[in-house]
Amino acid sequence: MRLPLLLLCAASSLGGQSVSARLEGRVPAANIPTIDSLVAVAGAQGLPTEPLIQKAIEGGAKHVSGERIVQAVALNLEQLRQAQALLVRAGDAPPVTDAEVTAVASGLKRGLTAPMVERIVIALPDQPRSSAFHAVADLVAHRFNADSSMDLIITAAREGVRGPRLLDVSGAAIQEMQRGHTRAEALARVRAALPNVPAAPAPAQSAVQAARRPTTTEPKP
Amino acid sequence: MRPIDPRLHQALDGDIPPETLAPALRRDAESLEAAVALLAAAPVAESVERRVMAAVRRPARSAGRRLLRWAIRPHSVVLSMRPVWSLALVAGILLLAVLPSPEDGPQLGAEEGIAQFVGRFPGARSVHVVGSFNDWKPVSIPLEDRDHDGVWQAVAVLPTGTHEYMFVVDGERWVVDPLAGRFVEDGFGRVNSVLIVRPLPR
Repeated sequence: MRLPLLLLCAASSLGGQSVSARLEGRVPAANIPTIDSLVAVAGAQGLPTEPLIQKAIEGGAKHVSGERIVQAVALNLEQLRQAQALLVRAGDAPPVTDAEVTAVASGLKRGLTAPMVERIVIALPDQPRSSAFHAVADLVAHRFNADSSMDLIITAAREGVRGPRLLDVSGAAIQEMQRGHTRAEALARVRAALPNVPAAPAPAQSAVQAARRPTTTEPKP
Repeated sequence: MRPIDPRLHQALDGDIPPETLAPALRRDAESLEAAVALLAAAPVAESVERRVMAAVRRPARSAGRRLLRWAIRPHSVVLSMRPVWSLALVAGILLLAVLPSPEDGPQLGAEEGIAQFVGRFPGARSVHVVGSFNDWKPVSIPLEDRDHDGVWQAVAVLPTGTHEYMFVVDGERWVVDPLAGRFVEDGFGRVNSVLIVRPLPR
């Protein structure tokens, strides 16, 4: 009985060390323990922890005060918790995937509402829905009608448009609007074309050849 | 070999008239005279000296013809090799064939995609993109303005998924990417651009 407990403590301690190590030098030292504990809470509740670490590092990079960083991390934790609860309430059994929790949390900040999340979960029970959440959030953020936007994305998914291709559906509607159609017309035109929506243009070969991974070393002053 | 009758000699030399010969000898004499006439009528063969000199005086072949002649003629090649160097050469050739050249671009993993960043920052001395894909490190993805027209750009290999990011101009000014199309409050009173990186179609 003692061994699993010891192992759990050791794992938690090691995890805490790695979070602290990532935050060291990036966040005011006095606030690292608080942020560390918020990350540990998220981990214990089955929530993704990386967005919280990124939020703390972002605050440090933007030279925000330590207190404000802690507030932002706590707010993010609450948003992730809310997103997870919404997914579970709509029918998903825990543990819910990190990608979907993150997508819903991001969508909620961009205009997605709880009833919209529930409707998408119920309508698309057997497939990854992260892209569906992002696609609906994209449309809502561009002030398309929420119900019509959901109808379009759910219809597209049922007609076989899956995963990131759902982003092409919302992208096509936004493009139609930018070409001068009303939002209602844009949605109708894309819906009429389903499941055939133009794919996002692939990057040119020259662009792929020029692509570089982010460097990990700091330049010399 | 049959010995020649002395009277036939005399007749061929003109010492006695051929008519005085016996009919058999006269036929022999006529055959020999016919043979002599045939030899006299045959063309004179060129001497070896003349043939050699003619060949020497022949004009030289053109460079093209010489090259063609060299190319189609068999040549023997002697190849001496040291096994160590030969193995090293083979290994080098194999490495060149297997390793990607820099012109091929980076090898993308299944969880990676390409992101292009473009921003107009006239007069800027440096522009970097920072975000959740590079731990918000301000120097890891520099944008370039090669033709100095104020348009800065970069192409980066990033992990697939959703990322928040901003531009950092001259190391201090944080600017949202107006071309992003997706924006979200950053929790610090500002707005981040949102980027969804998708895997490249294979």
